This record gives sequence, structure tokens and C-alpha cells, in this order.
Amino acid sequence: MTVFGMPESMFLIFVATIIAGNLGALHYVIVHVLLGKPFGDEDDVEETEDEAEPVIEAGEVND
Amino acid sequence: MIDLIPGDANPYYLAAFVLYMLLILGLGVWGYTRTNDVMDFWVFGQDMGPTLATWSLIANFVSSVSVIGFIGSVYVEGYSLMTHTILGLMLGISGLYFVVGRVRALNVLTLPDLIAEVSGYDVARPISGSVLLANAWLYLIMQLVGASLLITAITGVPYEYMVWVIGAVFIIYTVLGGLVSVAWTDLVQGVIMVAAVAITFVYMLFDLGSFTAINAELAAVDSALVHPTNEGTYTALMIAATIVAFFGSIFTEQNMLIRIAATRDIRTAKIHLAGAGAVLSIFYSLLIILGGATTVALLESGLAVDDPDAAFPVLITDYVSTGIGVVIILAVMSAILSTTDTRLHSTGITTARDIYSYFKPDAAETRLMTVSRIATVVFGISATAAAVDPPGTIIELYNLRAVLLTSAFLVPVYVAMYWSDLDGRAIVAAVAGGGILGLGTDLIDGGIGAVPSAFIGIGTGTIVLLVVHHLIPASDDGPDPTGGD
Repeated sequence: MTVFGMPESMFLIFVATIIAGNLGALHYVIVHVLLGKPFGDEDDVEETEDEAEPVIEAGEVND
Repeated sequence: MIDLIPGDANPYYLAAFVLYMLLILGLGVWGYTRTNDVMDFWVFGQDMGPTLATWSLIANFVSSVSVIGFIGSVYVEGYSLMTHTILGLMLGISGLYFVVGRVRALNVLTLPDLIAEVSGYDVARPISGSVLLANAWLYLIMQLVGASLLITAITGVPYEYMVWVIGAVFIIYTVLGGLVSVAWTDLVQGVIMVAAVAITFVYMLFDLGSFTAINAELAAVDSALVHPTNEGTYTALMIAATIVAFFGSIFTEQNMLIRIAATRDIRTAKIHLAGAGAVLSIFYSLLIILGGATTVALLESGLAVDDPDAAFPVLITDYVSTGIGVVIILAVMSAILSTTDTRLHSTGITTARDIYSYFKPDAAETRLMTVSRIATVVFGISATAAAVDPPGTIIELYNLRAVLLTSAFLVPVYVAMYWSDLDGRAIVAAVAGGGILGLGTDLIDGGIGAVPSAFIGIGTGTIVLLVVHHLIPASDDGPDPTGGD
């Protein structure tokens, strides 16, 4: 069986690679953005649960 | 060793190359004006924001091995490169994301700093620093060879001149502004690179019909080219060993630790790995399909090449239009220079921070800055000279240093971060044992029997770590490893 002209097994490797590269992004979005869990250096700071932040802030380069 | 790829001088390509080099040089010189002290030079004053850190990592990650070597590899062995190399690299980026909080919290600047911190043995800094210097120097040569071969092919300027031109430009801007210059040029280079590969991919899609048509035509050339193991060329054991080697290389490269140290906090450190992993996984998938498209385009046009590293340059010079050719050249130059400057910068900080300051612990900041700059120039010039007649092919050097780094550092360093009472002597012994066995068996025959060298190196490091920790009596006055927070 082929998918996009390549064997299904090859297609699955492409899918697996993209998922592998996005594991960190998925964790960041779920744990830090949606659940609002603080970062390691913020443990001693009181954080509000709804302090959601985007993965990359548009326009923020370095300030 | 170097075969000059004959190419016709193209004024548009030459002009694009010259303008690009001037732009990057100008940005690097501007970076010099923002470099006030040695911490700026080494780690951007530990104030790198999320976007700059992310794009700088992306630009650093994609090198001449990626754009020339990987497309050449697809030309020879098809999409199996995804299975044994790129999957490992992507797992490595995400894996590092999950430990970066602990690494950043230790607030170390370099990998030798990290090893000294977790082992409690300061002598680990110059020892591991020397291994990393050798690795960075090999990488510099690979990059310069790749860049110069490509630009020679597309501009017609002789290789030996082009090596020195490219070498001089990246040495100048790196030595002036350190990581400030490197990061800002990376930002520009990363954006250009990703955009240019996307544009080229779309061009080839229209040129060859569709995504499915590219794969179907590649399969028609040879069905093994679209098979995950190249129809059995790669065994499960070989694939597993290669994945582990490249996975581990992400954790053990000096420049990755320096970039983590340069981020302003743990949040930024996590963002830059998460964002880079997302972008790079898509980028490499497109790049490999682009390799397939390149293979189909060249073979169907009667442009078959003998040297796989020539596949992409020939696509530029003999297949695509001049406009697309300029776009590709900018992408390739961005990929190459952004990785090269990072490695060169790493040699400076390794020499000054990990080796010189160990022997001269009271050295003033200005002295360390001077040593960094001198080392940067020396390693840059010597790598450029070596690149005129390099000691091996690009892909051979690439694999060798991945095995070395992973064998030596992966298990002892990262186990030690979470095993707080691990004996420091066990860590140092495991680094030495794993590195020697991994490198040695790789140089001899790629392994022992059916066992690949990456597994031998990692296995040796693990055994030495456990044996020394459990069997050697603890010293009462030994160092006290912190093991993190």
C-alpha cells in the first residue's frame, strides 16, 4: 500500500519524525500554556493558574 | 581529495554571494558594538530572548551536511536517511527539551562546566574541553569544504580561493562580536534558509507535478529509494545505533550547552528547543522530499552525477532558473555560515573558559576575552587551511564526531545530573572509557562484529560508571557533586 506515492512504512517514518520533533512543543503548550505550570526558576514565585503564554511571542526578539 | 566541480561563472550567482557576505559581515561588525564584556562575547550576557534564541538554534542546526550532504545522501540511498539519522536528531531535540530545565538551573556555560559540576572534578574541564575542541575543529573543516565546493561550483571561482574568502568572513565577524554577532546573523540566516527551502520545494512541486508524483517517480527509478530501510540495506541494529548516536550528539555538543546558557531563563530555554524542534522537523521533511525531487529532476534530465555531493550544486547550475538558483544559494550559504560561526565561537570559549581558566583561575575578564579571540582566529585559520585538502569526506567526519560525543558524554553526564550521590570518579572514568572505546571501534571497523561502535561506547560508559561507583571505596575527602537542584 502506498501513501503519497511512497510505501506506508515510509510515510509513517515521516509522521514519526514530525511528532518526535514536536514532543517538546506539545509538552510546552499542554503543561505550561494550558495548565499554567510554572518553570523551574519560578517555583518560589506565586503564579496564577491562568498565566498562559504563547510558544513564541510575535515580534519579541530580544529586549 | 577535493575534486573541483566545473561550473560556468554566473554573474548573478557571484553578485548574490558577494552581497550576502557583505550583509552578514556588516551585521557581525554591528554585533561588535553591542559586545561590552566577556559574558556578552561568550553567552550574549545570558539575556537572549525567545525568538532570537529559537531562530539562532534553527540556523545553527542546519549545516552544509544538511543541505549538500543530506540531499546527496537521498540521491544515493533515498528516504532511508529519515529513518536512521533525522528521526534520531528530532528525538534528540525533544529529549533535550525535557532536561533543559535542570541544565539551565545549574547555570553552567559549557559542557565541561556541566561535567565538572556533576562530577565534582574540575580537571574534567580541560580534559573534556580538549575532546570538544577536536570535534569543533573537524566540524569547521566540514563546513568550509561544503561551502567552498558549492560556491566554487556555482560561481566558477577556484576552490582554493573560495575557501579563504569564506573562512576570512566568518572569522572576522565571529571574532569581533562573539555570540552577539553569531546570534543576530543567525536570526537573518535562519529566516532566509527556511523561507528559501520552502520556496524551492514549492517550485519543484510545480515543476514535477505534485508531491505524489515526486515520490512515485523516485520509486520508479528504484523502489529502494522510497523504502525506510533502503529495502534491507540498513538492519534494525544499524538503524538503532545511528539513531542513538545522533540523539546523543544533541545532548553533548558544546554549542548546545552554550546556547542554553545564553537564554535569559528556563522559560526561554524551553521555548527555543520546543520551537526549533517544531520548525526543524517540518524543515527536514521538506528537505528530504526536495532531495527526492532533485534526484528525479537530474536523472530525468540526463544530468546524473557521480559524486552525490554534486547533486544539489548541479540542480542549481543546470536545472533551475537563475532566480530560483539565487534563492537556493542564499539558503545554502545561510545554512553553512550559521553553523560554522557557532562552531568557531565554541572553539574560543572552550579554549578560554574550559582550558585556559583552569590553569589560570585568577585570569582577568579582559584576558579571557583576549584568549577567546586569539583562539577563534587560530582555530579559524587552521581549519580553513585544512579545508583546502580535507582529511575525509563530509559525511565520514559527521558520523565520526557523533559517535565520539555520544559515547563519551551522553550516559555519564546526564545520569549524573539526576543521580546526586554518584561518585565523581565514576563519571570521569565513564567519559574516558566510553569515548575511547566508541571512537576506537568506530575508527577500526565501525564496531565489533555485529555490535555498532555507538553501542560499544555507550555500553562501556554505562558499565564503567556502575562498576567504579559500586566497587571503588568512596574517598572521605573527595569532591561533593551537587547533582543539580
